[in-house]
Amino acid sequence: MASAQSAPSSPTLGRTQREGVVTDPPKFDLESYIQNYQGRTRLERLIHIGACSTFLGPDALKLAVREAKAGKDIRRYLEAQSHLEAIAPREQEAVMDRSWVDTVDKQNKAESKRLEAELKGYKNNLIKESIRMGNEDLGKHYQAIGDLSKAFEAFGRMRQDISVAKHIIDVSRHLVEVAVEQRNWIAVSSNVQKIRSLAPPTSVSADPPLQPYLSATEGLAQFDAGIYRNAALSFLQTETGMGSTCATIMSPNDVAIYGGLCALATMDRNELQSKVLDNTHFRTYLELEPHIRKAIAFFVNSRYTLCLEILEGYHTDYLLDIYLQRHVTILYQKIRSKCIVQYFIPFSFVTLDNLNEAFCSPGKTIDKELSGMIQAGELNARINTVDRLLEALPSNQRAEAQREALQMAGDFEREARRRILRMNIGMADLEVKGLKRGGQHPGAVDDFFDAHAHAGGNVHVSNF
Amino acid sequence: MDDLLPKLLSFPPHPPPPKPLSIVQYDEGIKAQISAIKSIPEGKLLQQTSSGENALDIINPALNTVPYALILTAHMSAMQSGAKDVDLDMLWGKITDFLPNFDPRQARYLGSEISRIIEATAAIARSHQQIPLALPPIRDALLRIDPTGTVFTSKHLLLVKLALESRSYDNVIPVLEKPILYIPGSRNQPKAKHICDTALPPQAYITPANGFPGKGIRHHDVLEYFLYSGMVYIALRNWKRALECLEDAVTYPAKDSSISKIMVEAYKKWVLINLLVEGRLMDIPKASSVSKLYHTLAKPYETVARIFQLGTASRLKSEVEAGKHIWQNDCNTGLILNVLAAYQKFQIRNLAGVHSKISIAEIHNLTMSGETGAKLPSSQAVETLVQNMIADGSLNATLSNPSNQGSVLTFSQGGPVLSEKQVQAELAASTLRIKNLTQEIKNTDHIMTYDKDYVKHLQKQKKNTKTMHDQGISGGDMDWNGVDDEDLMDSLY
Repeated sequence: MASAQSAPSSPTLGRTQREGVVTDPPKFDLESYIQNYQGRTRLERLIHIGACSTFLGPDALKLAVREAKAGKDIRRYLEAQSHLEAIAPREQEAVMDRSWVDTVDKQNKAESKRLEAELKGYKNNLIKESIRMGNEDLGKHYQAIGDLSKAFEAFGRMRQDISVAKHIIDVSRHLVEVAVEQRNWIAVSSNVQKIRSLAPPTSVSADPPLQPYLSATEGLAQFDAGIYRNAALSFLQTETGMGSTCATIMSPNDVAIYGGLCALATMDRNELQSKVLDNTHFRTYLELEPHIRKAIAFFVNSRYTLCLEILEGYHTDYLLDIYLQRHVTILYQKIRSKCIVQYFIPFSFVTLDNLNEAFCSPGKTIDKELSGMIQAGELNARINTVDRLLEALPSNQRAEAQREALQMAGDFEREARRRILRMNIGMADLEVKGLKRGGQHPGAVDDFFDAHAHAGGNVHVSNF
Repeated sequence: MDDLLPKLLSFPPHPPPPKPLSIVQYDEGIKAQISAIKSIPEGKLLQQTSSGENALDIINPALNTVPYALILTAHMSAMQSGAKDVDLDMLWGKITDFLPNFDPRQARYLGSEISRIIEATAAIARSHQQIPLALPPIRDALLRIDPTGTVFTSKHLLLVKLALESRSYDNVIPVLEKPILYIPGSRNQPKAKHICDTALPPQAYITPANGFPGKGIRHHDVLEYFLYSGMVYIALRNWKRALECLEDAVTYPAKDSSISKIMVEAYKKWVLINLLVEGRLMDIPKASSVSKLYHTLAKPYETVARIFQLGTASRLKSEVEAGKHIWQNDCNTGLILNVLAAYQKFQIRNLAGVHSKISIAEIHNLTMSGETGAKLPSSQAVETLVQNMIADGSLNATLSNPSNQGSVLTFSQGGPVLSEKQVQAELAASTLRIKNLTQEIKNTDHIMTYDKDYVKHLQKQKKNTKTMHDQGISGGDMDWNGVDDEDLMDSLY
């Protein structure tokens, strides 16, 4: 799915990420990275890294196989195992453990049956609380064995038997978790809204504060749907104290990275200063990822080359993130374009060589990227290929206003004429009408035109 | 004949009385004169005077339009009934003398006669293969009767047909450049009391009752006129005006989701000319109600337009070749060839959107010819093309040759800059046109108030207001202006 949706890669970036395979060594340490997460997302992330990184692949997959065997999701186990078999067939974990698969499969089926039967019993007894718990157990079980749609259904059924506000939060959190794994972002946002619409959070007095969880998951939903500006705003609202409340989905580090990149891609320098760097809540997250903070600070201080260099340094890491992989190229491209635009603002012209030096690795040129940006209307400038300059467009507001006025007057004239004619045609009762009243064919074409039109038509064509 | 002359010349009084005739007097006088002359047997009108002159030699068409026109038609009837002694050369001379010179005020009473004279002119010219000679007199006659040129008549269609048949286009432009706003035959047009009133708008005296517009104008007459006008402008390569004319046909009102074939033909040409003018396919003006049908009926054309905008030269060329028979059947081959020729020009013009200065060699590399589907043979050819474009004003740029590395093209940004004076003149002209249009809008508005449906609607409104008042609800502003602003002209402002 990820590769199918990946955006056209920037002309100046390497081509390695095309197939989703990353060859460069990442900056992070696998063990400490994965410790940030809990639950099923660990497995998902490990498999992703294993499948994408040639450097960390075997280690990640070995971990993944071990992790999978501790759980009961056979499909995930097979996925991790087959990847490992492909890249490192000699590893001990690469051999498929058929007996484990069979026993777990049997256990899973028995457990499903038992829980379904229990639930039925509760339903017969009509005890709301038991039914709710039964559904919750069933949902958890299905989630654990990887049957997400059934899990979503089971958790959804819990809603019918809710008695206190906390239950609503429970239900929605379960649903959010499953929906995130299904990448069903609409469900995520709607459940976040449901929790939000409860009485003000103080009365719910959740022990770990809920706000960071809500903002982060909402931000993630918007981020993965490609609405970067809103995602940035959501992430930036995340209050301190997220801790591990969100660990089954994302870590506080992720909030800093996603939020920082989205903000860089969509906000101008003043906004970055006021909404990101001066944001006390978000600062605690940024401290976890100091390079993001540095990159933003460099951008705000107009040192675009340094900003891009930092980001480029972490490119590999971001490609190994399950959510960022699809977006990082687009985000980088946006940030890059913004840098170029900002860089150019104070000048009336800049040599292309200067731009190349500032924005391109040696040996590459920026020409094509510039013309793309100009065509897309992002950069208000023109390229002078003869003297190798990028020239700002002189603006002549008076001439423009005059042209616009004339244009508008002309348009009005034509439109008014057309309407007068139309009304008069209507009054003379000369509209084109269906041939037969009543049994008319829609789209009927009258044919008595042929003879005339072609006599005339021939005349003009032979003229050329 | 001699004894008839005083009778023929009785109106208008000569020399003109010191106090001009009132409208009523004029109306009565001319009506009496017409019925008097019509009561004279035609044979008598054809007689020569005692000195052996034709009556037409004596009468001044500019002063005594009525007798002149009636004698002319008498000659024509004689010719049609097979009389041998009609001198065609003499008659032709008289016609061409009459049409550009008659008195427009008197002519209002002679609608059917002048109509007949114009038709005869066309017929004579056709039968002698001398159509171009008929165009100026007919054109002048049309503009004499209706100097605003806003009322459609069957003579308009005749004129443009003659122009296309004879391929002489310049002569008819004065008529074509006046936009058509009124179609005679409106059921609501209030009848003018005295059509000699010089204050009347043309649509008030050019009516089916007057006989000039021709009987039974049908919708395809109007459509054909728009299409043919467009074709005249196409032949003159005045793409902008051609586009406007075709647009009139394309946006012609249609009911019951039916469509005229003429509209489709016009749409096809409209699509191609869009490419020549704008380099892209614009949206059909909103007023159109049948845009869906166009898309299905003119698909090959829209495909060409899409490729023209986004595709490569070679794709455009192969698409055009694949559709060869379509263009041929629709008689659009000429336009298609123009589109192919325009492809590279638009590519070059689009470069101005990205570049401020570029060498000819680069243009050679970056653009392709739509005619061959490949690059031009040499950068020399590109330079010639660019020079031509600069010369005909389609490219705002200058060509220079700074060193020996080849020529360099510098685009002047933001299009041609008009001088303050030019802008002022243009704005003034535009203001004047819009003021005139406002008058037309008022006229149409006025005519609309006579519409049956509208009156019904008003009655209903009145009733509603009344009942509302009865129930103690205030009915708001229900006067005429308020209502028709809302209903009829709302979208204009």
